[in-house]
Amino acid sequence: MTTTLDAPGRGTRPARGGGAPTSKQAGTKKYRLAAVGFLSPALLLICAFVVVPMVLTFWISLHRWSMFTPLTDMEFVGTENYRSVLSSASHLAALTNTVVYVGLSAAVTIPLAFLLALLLYFPGLHGRGLVRVLLFSTYVVPTVAIVIIWSNLYAPGHGPIDNVLALAGISSPGWLSNPDTALLSLVVFNVWQMLGYYVVLLVAGLTQIPEEIYEAARLDGAGPVRQTVSITVPLLRNTLVFVLLMTVINSIQVFDPVYLLTQGGPVDSTNVLSFDIQRTAFQFGLAGEASAMAFSLLVLLAAVAGILVGAGRRRS
Amino acid sequence: MSLPPPVSVPPPVDDVAPVVGTDRNAPDRRRPRRSRWRRLALYAVLVAVAVIQFAPLYWLIISTLKTPQEFASIPPTWFPEAPTLEAYARVFQDVPFGRSILNSIFIAGVSSLAVLVTSTMAGYVFAKYRFPGRDAIFWGVVATMFLPPIVTLVPLYHVVSSLGLSDSYLGVMLPWLVNAFGIFLMRQFIADVPDELIDAARIDGASELRILVQVVAPLLRPATITLLVFTIVYYWNNFLWPLSILQSEAKYPVVLTLSRLLSYTMGVGYQNVVMAGALVASLPTLLIFLLAQRVFVQGIARTGVK
Repeated sequence: MTTTLDAPGRGTRPARGGGAPTSKQAGTKKYRLAAVGFLSPALLLICAFVVVPMVLTFWISLHRWSMFTPLTDMEFVGTENYRSVLSSASHLAALTNTVVYVGLSAAVTIPLAFLLALLLYFPGLHGRGLVRVLLFSTYVVPTVAIVIIWSNLYAPGHGPIDNVLALAGISSPGWLSNPDTALLSLVVFNVWQMLGYYVVLLVAGLTQIPEEIYEAARLDGAGPVRQTVSITVPLLRNTLVFVLLMTVINSIQVFDPVYLLTQGGPVDSTNVLSFDIQRTAFQFGLAGEASAMAFSLLVLLAAVAGILVGAGRRRS
Repeated sequence: MSLPPPVSVPPPVDDVAPVVGTDRNAPDRRRPRRSRWRRLALYAVLVAVAVIQFAPLYWLIISTLKTPQEFASIPPTWFPEAPTLEAYARVFQDVPFGRSILNSIFIAGVSSLAVLVTSTMAGYVFAKYRFPGRDAIFWGVVATMFLPPIVTLVPLYHVVSSLGLSDSYLGVMLPWLVNAFGIFLMRQFIADVPDELIDAARIDGASELRILVQVVAPLLRPATITLLVFTIVYYWNNFLWPLSILQSEAKYPVVLTLSRLLSYTMGVGYQNVVMAGALVASLPTLLIFLLAQRVFVQGIARTGVK
């Protein structure tokens, strides 16, 4: 693809992002060589480790194959893997749990992040910077470490959460060992870890809204709530859509806490897609089935991203 | 300490005629008394957020200072009775923790530098060169940013192990020497570099490589810091891929050692040592973040605003 490089400025359409130098470099081979040289490491690596594996995922999903044997041992089975995935209660639980986990994470994170962003953007409050750093700092801590912290916070008996609840006379639901609360407990890790990241994105979006619009609204007698609903939210739409997309993509990948703490249990209540894919492939050696799940996830994700991006574009 | 200076937000008052053009950070003349209560309420929320956010970290820190007996005591103590650093000593004695920290430094360091190089080169081409299909290729690359690694895990494992690289440092790093986010970030920043500067260097006869290294790269300090912090954090914390490709404990990055420590000692009176490990494993990324946070947070924020 890069070999079809046209000499810059020779009758091609004008560049959209960033004007390129024109006449001075016209017709010289030097620039084509440089472009190919600069671009090829990145493109080759992406081809080898993203594009090819993506195509292979689909190819493997049509075969029966233990991933520890050569590719030549694959046996073509058509859509059998997809059918078996769709008829397995455990795999369907993984799909449902993932949807619930992603939905809950988004439903909690986004309103909370929006309110916190408004708060941290509020002028003249002392200590905002410190709170922002504190919020964001959990984003850089390894998830494994966060899982360790929270598994101790949830610990029955000597864990502080149960003891604080006991003061209020509430008995522990057993958090991670109770099928009704296990997934919810994992959502709490996720929200606590990622909230600061989304707050930072939203604060950045807020700085883009011109103050004059608020001034005008105030002259028209709009109160703070009205201003938030009628100005902030619509003008923040693109950032909100981006944040929603990032929440979906980040939370769809939840793996570490499930692998480390619950192994999908109790009774499949925390079995999520990424864990199920990894376990199906690496523990059970069913690479075909795992790939069928992975490819379905890809299609699902593309659909969600398409809808979100479309929604973001339509009204802006 | 903060993002770009706050432009302003709607004031909490709706019953006073606004003064157009007022600096809202200046001492406020027009704010009525009731807003004082509002400010107090806002501070209360701010403090509550800070406390909720900090409490788990506080719990982590005090847990590492407790003895195993105190750690398991019911009800839990909120201040360690006889603070001891024994848990830290044990985490280094009982597992090859020091070795795995060095592994992580090596893996995250080399991968991050490679990402910086590949991203800067590709970002330069996408920002400053013109050729048919450029935008299509660029957006194709950006799209891979949204692809969860779990989707390609199975074939990736196969590709890397058929190259004979399973259970090797190179196998851990090779698939992650390029990063779509990095290319995107670098293109955004390089697009702001004036074309005149590059043209002037070209007229002087500088080679493209020389222009990139000596003219463009020095102007990219904030982008470079952002990308390095982002990739160091990302590769330091990455768990799924090393877990899948590594077998020998001598090559484990620190998060993998930590996870083994956790799973071997579940329910055993050893959790204060595991907590100490968690804190030590988090310190490098936390430290880097705190040192670079001003630039880093702004750089990350920029990815969400287009």
